[in-house]
Parts: sequence; structure tokens; C-alpha cells
Amino acid sequence: MLTIFSLSGAMAQLIKVDQEVFGMDCAPCAYGLERGLKKMDGLESVTVSLNDGKAYLKLGSDNELTLQKIQEVVKSNGFSARNAEVTLKGEMLKEGNEWTIKVNEETFIVSDDTPSDILTKLNPGKIRIKGWVKDEEDGQLSGKWDIMIIEVLKS
Amino acid sequence: MKRTAFLILLSITAISQVKAQGHGPLYGLQTPTLAKGGFDFNAAAMSLATEDDQSFMLRYIWSYGVTEDLQINITTPTMINRLSEAPRTRGNNNMPANGDIEASIWYRFFSNAFGVGKRFESTAILSVSTPTEETRSGINVSNSIHGAISTGYASRTWYAWVGGGYQYYFEEGNDQLGDLPYASLVVGYRPNIFMGDYPKPDWRIFVESLAEFPGANTSEGQLTPIDQRGKKVMLGPSFLGLYGAWGISFGALFPVYQDVTQGPKEEYRLSMNISYWL
Repeated sequence: MLTIFSLSGAMAQLIKVDQEVFGMDCAPCAYGLERGLKKMDGLESVTVSLNDGKAYLKLGSDNELTLQKIQEVVKSNGFSARNAEVTLKGEMLKEGNEWTIKVNEETFIVSDDTPSDILTKLNPGKIRIKGWVKDEEDGQLSGKWDIMIIEVLKS
Repeated sequence: MKRTAFLILLSITAISQVKAQGHGPLYGLQTPTLAKGGFDFNAAAMSLATEDDQSFMLRYIWSYGVTEDLQINITTPTMINRLSEAPRTRGNNNMPANGDIEASIWYRFFSNAFGVGKRFESTAILSVSTPTEETRSGINVSNSIHGAISTGYASRTWYAWVGGGYQYYFEEGNDQLGDLPYASLVVGYRPNIFMGDYPKPDWRIFVESLAEFPGANTSEGQLTPIDQRGKKVMLGPSFLGLYGAWGISFGALFPVYQDVTQGPKEEYRLSMNISYWL
């Protein structure tokens, strides 16, 4: 039992995050944000685009990063972290009427606007998905995210 | 000799260690950003010319981001040539062009990043200064307090800031420098050719305007004979270039209207800043 849980924990990870950043207008903004993000452990690469208004993060295989930590770095640099396209792997669980995936200390709750052809095919177990996390405001970061699954990827 | 020294120092000035620093105009009030825990060191070279004389100085500013909205700063001058009779002005609103040492708090009390590369924000400034000279234009000079508010819009193409401030000098030995209310308006533009993505070169042009209304000085307890508030409007361009870890900004202000009853009239102001992010 303990072995299964520890394996599940190790297999739950963020793989890629394309984080939307509002308010970033100039080269030093991008430079400072890139430097701030690069200081996080567990990153394989990070690129910041002013014109896209995004930070593109590829995460390493043993990372323990959370979307909350990434957004906190954006905020501490003076900008606003908004929606994010997230690729992650983890254990899909059914909790009441909700499908959830727990990754590190965060919970991604599959939102109702996930296309029905994806929703109806979800099953408990290992899964790798690409999804859209809506974050319209810079409020309190709780570590619970609604995610609209765009694609179920091969594990 | 002094001009040569100034030009040499100009070429090696301004080292900046920055973590997400917003850069903007040289003279007008702005809404700078500095990341939480960020440290910034900047040095600038400035010159102010009157009808008969010209000042040269270097100024350094150390800034620390307490939070992403609150930064503390201290700025000190190296005077190369002081004006024997100085016009009443702050010079540059974020870094004064007189001989004062100034400590300040800049608080971004409003920020709304509402789109990609776009934000509205407002900053309040509170500072205290102490002079490095005993007299300025024959008047004993004391410490001062200064407050200002600016509001701005930043985007990938257009920038604009409007603001106003007030500086009050305390009495010193029965003398007192007149107060200084002022306002500034800056519009900035990034041409399409410099809309390439980071880390391509990023250049902006600003049109800066500054209105100052210096109050009458008090000498030996008496207002100087002409008790009248001066009026001055200055206008000029500045340019800001950023590439990788390097930044350079330079600009000038010229008087478009001057009605000053105390101190000389200004001919122009020059300022240059070179930055390097360590």
C-alpha cells in the first residue's frame, strides 16, 4: 500500500507549463522574470516571450514544482499570472461527482467545460493530459485549480 | 577640464543590478517596478545650463524591492561643478539634479495588468533630503520633504504618465528656500521595428514635459523683494534603449516658457544613464 502511494506520488508531475503573464511590457521585465523563474529547482528550460505575454516552462523529470509556485514568482516580479496551458501526469481519481488529479501539493479538478467526448472516457488510473487552467484574477493562490482538459496524451 | 572629466565619467557610469526593473522617462514622474527582493544600482550623469553657467554632476541611486509594490531608495550626488546661482528646480523628479542626498519610498498602490503587455498603475512617492552644500544661490539650505503621485499606462506600443509633486524645504538660519510644486506629463512610443521579441533590441522614444512653480525664497526672515511664484514649462525628448543586460537612456529638456523672478533662466537640461544588469 505504502509502495503504491509513493510510486503514485513520484509519477504525479507537471511536465510543461505555458503561463500567461499580463503587464510585461519591456525587455528588462522579461529578463527579470526569466531570471526569477530559472532560480526554481526542477526546471529544464524557460523562455519568456513579450509579444506572446507568456513564460514557457519545461519541467525536469524529478521536479516538485507547483503551478502556485510558478505564479508566485510571476507576481513577485510585479506582473499578473493569468491562464495557463498545463501538461501533467498523475493519478485520475473520482471524488464524488468530480474527477481530480493530485500533483505534488496541488489538486486539479476537471471542469465541466471539458469536451464531453473526453469527459465520458475518463477512468480512474494513471493519466497524462494537456489542459487549460483558467485564472482570471490575482487572488489568493489555494493550490486548487479548475482544469479544462484539451487532450488526453499517451502515458 | 571639468567637461572632459564629465564626459569620461559619463561613458563609464551606471551599473545596475536589476530584477525586473521598469524603465521609463528621465525627467518626468513614472511608475517604476522592482521585483520583491530585487536590488538595483543606477548612476546617471546630468547637466543643467543657465544663461551664464553650467552644472555637471553624477548621481547614484540604490533601490531595494521590499515587495513587488514597495521599494526603498537612496540617492547621492557627486558634484563636479555647482552653479553659483542655481535655478529652483528638482531637475529630474526621480533623481534630483541638485546637491541633495535623498531617501525615498515608492509605493505602487494601484496596479491593473489587464492584457498582454498592458497595465495601468499608480505610484506614490515620499522622500526626505539633506543638502550637501550650506547655501544655494546665497540662501542657507536645509532638509526637505517631498511627495508625489504619478499614474501611468504601459503597453508594448504606447506609454503615458501624468503626475504631480511638491517639495518643501525647512528653515535654516532664518533663510528658507521656496517650495516647489510641479507636474509632469510624458508620452512614450515603441516603433514597430523594435517590437521584436525579447531579447531583441528594445528602443523607445519619449516626449517629456515638466511644469514647475517655484515659490519665493526667504532671506533673513524676509521674503525676497519679489514675492511671486515662478512659472516654468520644459519640453524635450528622451530615448531609452535596452538589449540583453545593457540599457542606455539619454535626453534633454528645453524651456518653452519661463517666468522666473528668482534665480537664472535655464537654457537646457541634459541627462544620460547607462545600465548593466549583473
